[in-house]
Amino acid sequence: MSPDGDLETLMVRYQQGDFAAATALVHRLSPRLHRFFVVQFASRGAADDLLQETWLRIHEVRHTYRAGQPVLPWLYAIARHIRVDHYRKASRTSAREASLEELPEAAAPPRPGFARTPDMAELLAPLSESQREVIEMLKIAGMSLEEVARATSSSVGSVKQKAHRAYERLRERLAGGLS
Amino acid sequence: MKDREIDDILKQAAQAPHDVDPALLDRIAGSIGSTLRPVRPLPPAWLLAGGLVLICGAVAVAGAARLGFAGVRNLSTWERALIFPALGILIWLAAAAWAGETIPGSRRRVSPASLLGVASVVLLGIFAVLFRDYHTDHFVSRGVACLSAGLLHAVPTAIAGWLLLRRGFAVNSVAAGLAAGILAGLAGVAMLELHCANFQALHVMLWHTAVIPIGGALGALLGWRRDSTSG
Repeated sequence: MSPDGDLETLMVRYQQGDFAAATALVHRLSPRLHRFFVVQFASRGAADDLLQETWLRIHEVRHTYRAGQPVLPWLYAIARHIRVDHYRKASRTSAREASLEELPEAAAPPRPGFARTPDMAELLAPLSESQREVIEMLKIAGMSLEEVARATSSSVGSVKQKAHRAYERLRERLAGGLS
Repeated sequence: MKDREIDDILKQAAQAPHDVDPALLDRIAGSIGSTLRPVRPLPPAWLLAGGLVLICGAVAVAGAARLGFAGVRNLSTWERALIFPALGILIWLAAAAWAGETIPGSRRRVSPASLLGVASVVLLGIFAVLFRDYHTDHFVSRGVACLSAGLLHAVPTAIAGWLLLRRGFAVNSVAAGLAAGILAGLAGVAMLELHCANFQALHVMLWHTAVIPIGGALGALLGWRRDSTSG
């Protein structure tokens, strides 16, 4: 059985109330989700909070998953929603200072030669938010263009365009970092 | 630097272990387990969209039955054959878009914003081709009456649709609201085409078609309000 097929089976069992399946999903999918939040400029502490919040929401809306559909687009669509909601709430409760404190850390210029020992958050720092999430889903989570399009509620063409632009920026950045 | 080299760098970075505190995972699994019970999955998106189409049709026909079918009676066969199938297709597209917006990770064939443009342009085009009477008798008073009637019929469509989709989860409330408003607006336009016998081109093009963008804007506004007040 393919890993994705395995995830689909686990999701269906989770919907049926199988605790072992729920636990397996939490352990298998959490590192991906956590990295997704870290790459999106969240600190590890914030990523922990976002991860918990995401699972809470996944649990609430688990009935919206349709058997036979890919799990990852469904999961990442919810994770994106939580991330956007989190930043909206943070800005509303004037946590602006806190997010500004986090930014320089993530957007710091690359260390010389960082391309040889790359840290993902640092590597993707020069990209826009939407480019980062597309690259994260395509290259780290290993999702297909179609799956990323589903997760981001956009077209495959738009995903390709974002990935292309992201690669252009990465090329400039890496060339600069290596020189 | 070639794409393949960037691929390799990203792959290398992706392979770096990314551990999450096991205690955190146990806590998450524990909290899920404490409220775990079987749930009934949502019906397929096409079934939800079919339900929305039925609601739309029912509201339009019920509204015209109350106000009279003067419009459809006075339309020629050619006009009926162009207007109602086009409305049917647009209603199906809007219903599919709204249902899709309430299921995370759904395939999006057309974005609600594009649908708003397509629906408005298609109807404007059809009305411009079919109606050539450019008189503007009682333009505003009759227009406002039609616009109000269209919007009044959009409201029950939106409410009934929301009841049908209430178990869904919209990851983008503004897009879901926009799709809902477009569908509700199309129900209003369908009712007006069945009822309104004023075939002056500018009346139909402006006041009838306007129900769709106004419905869409109100839906998007409600979605935005929901987002900005949640939590």
